[in-house]
Amino acid sequence: MALVHIDALHKHFGSNHVLKGIDLDIEEGQVIALIGRSGSGKSTLLRTINGLESFDEGRIEVDGERIHPHETDLRALRQKVGMVFQQFNLFPHLSAGQNVMLATRIVKKMPEQDAVDLAKAMLLKVGLQDKFDAYPDQLSGGQQQRVAIARALAMQPRVLLCDEITSALDPELVNEVLAVVRNLAAEGITLIMVTHEMRFAREVGDKLVFMYQGRIHESGDPQTLFANPQTPELASFIGSIN
Amino acid sequence: MSYQFDFVAVFDYSSVLLAGTAHTLLLTTVGAVAGLGIGILGAVSRAWQIKPFDRIFAVYVELIRNTPFLIQLFFIYFGLPSLGFRLDEWQAAILAVIINLGAYTTEIVRAGIEATPRGQIEAAESLAMTRPQIFRHVVLPPALAKVWPAICSQMVIVMLGTSVCSQIAAEELTFAANFIQSRNFRAFETYFIVTVIYFVLAVAVRQLLTQAGLRLLGRRAR
Ligand SMILES: Nc1ncnc2c1ncn2[C@@H]1O[C@H](COP(=O)(O)OP(=O)(O)OP(=O)(O)O)[C@@H](O)[C@H]1O
Ligand SMILES: [Mg+2]
Repeated sequence: MALVHIDALHKHFGSNHVLKGIDLDIEEGQVIALIGRSGSGKSTLLRTINGLESFDEGRIEVDGERIHPHETDLRALRQKVGMVFQQFNLFPHLSAGQNVMLATRIVKKMPEQDAVDLAKAMLLKVGLQDKFDAYPDQLSGGQQQRVAIARALAMQPRVLLCDEITSALDPELVNEVLAVVRNLAAEGITLIMVTHEMRFAREVGDKLVFMYQGRIHESGDPQTLFANPQTPELASFIGSIN
Repeated sequence: MSYQFDFVAVFDYSSVLLAGTAHTLLLTTVGAVAGLGIGILGAVSRAWQIKPFDRIFAVYVELIRNTPFLIQLFFIYFGLPSLGFRLDEWQAAILAVIINLGAYTTEIVRAGIEATPRGQIEAAESLAMTRPQIFRHVVLPPALAKVWPAICSQMVIVMLGTSVCSQIAAEELTFAANFIQSRNFRAFETYFIVTVIYFVLAVAVRQLLTQAGLRLLGRRAR
């Protein structure tokens, strides 16, 4: 049974039919690279998986738990699904360590000392063990994004969603974040990432999913698809990126 | 100029001045704490459209912001007894200050809440935090820090405004001044000294609030 199971998913924004029947199964430990043109529905798909967007039709299951289309109590689901955003979205009034600890303290009700230890371990994992007390505005973009990854990991999610997490970074900071993601992939964390880093998608991804106008137009092994796109749309997309 | 200044005639009443000052500060403190509490509730109701409170607070804010404080005070002290709701002068003064400050802080804090980037709330949601947790831990602290200078100003304005409570015989500082000069007929000296006291209080209260903001809300509250 797949860890994430998506079946005939439809989503409208008003009259705009954004997801037109998405079917996708993601196995435990898989790294999915989601690519496609702007407006093809990548972010929307990702956001339905942790309930940041509702959907109109279809079925989503995460770790055996079904998300109902307009459910409001999504906390159980969200403890299984972590998310990292393009704009980092750290809490500016909290230090890096406090950012990582907040949810473990108040959502998981972890004792203070355990939460501190866990936060330190997570910051170590992203290479920021010495930044526990630094505030977000004292960190570079790359460091902020790594704190955001540590914050999501501290909740020990079953699957981590990443929406263009290097797109807001200066080019020289992209690699430090990708290196962290590469390590996570090697550890066997299940990852769904929207990315424009095609080389990274090819190297780290177990499965490439190409979205086109609200549908999964093509999907499969990244090496094969990049070398041999089956549709003219994917071929032209790959051409336009390189 | 042949007028002989006689400040001693005022200091003979220093216990009255002291009591008046203490009452002014008490009125301000109670009003500030409760008014800020109401302001936070009002702000979140309005910013997050919590029904039906958003509507209730909207009407309340408009009502208070568009009427004079003195009339609000008279309404509570002289008007409400007609409905069988009788308050003594202190209860009326405190209630009026709380209601007045609550309305202004609702608007001030709302601006801070609405400035919260959407992404921070989504990040908190995706960490499985509940809405009250998000408000308490993610939205409110930076919002208050952002608008803290405006809140401090409003509280000082309200402190100076409590002077009006002398009109219903609440024995605060202005009432004390009126009382003293009616006894010693030293209007200049009396009002001069009370002016100085108000000035010092205002500066001190502003300093205190600013420092408290830095302590409680961190380095952003300036
Ligand atoms: N909150 C919203 N309200 C209305 N329409 C929206 C909203 N979010 C997205 N859309 C629309 O849904 C469509 C898909 O958007 P989405 O953000 O999923 O695309 P994307 O593939 O992530 O694009 P990008 O590469 O630019 O991030 C677009 O037409 C967009 O305008
Ligand atoms: Mg997007």
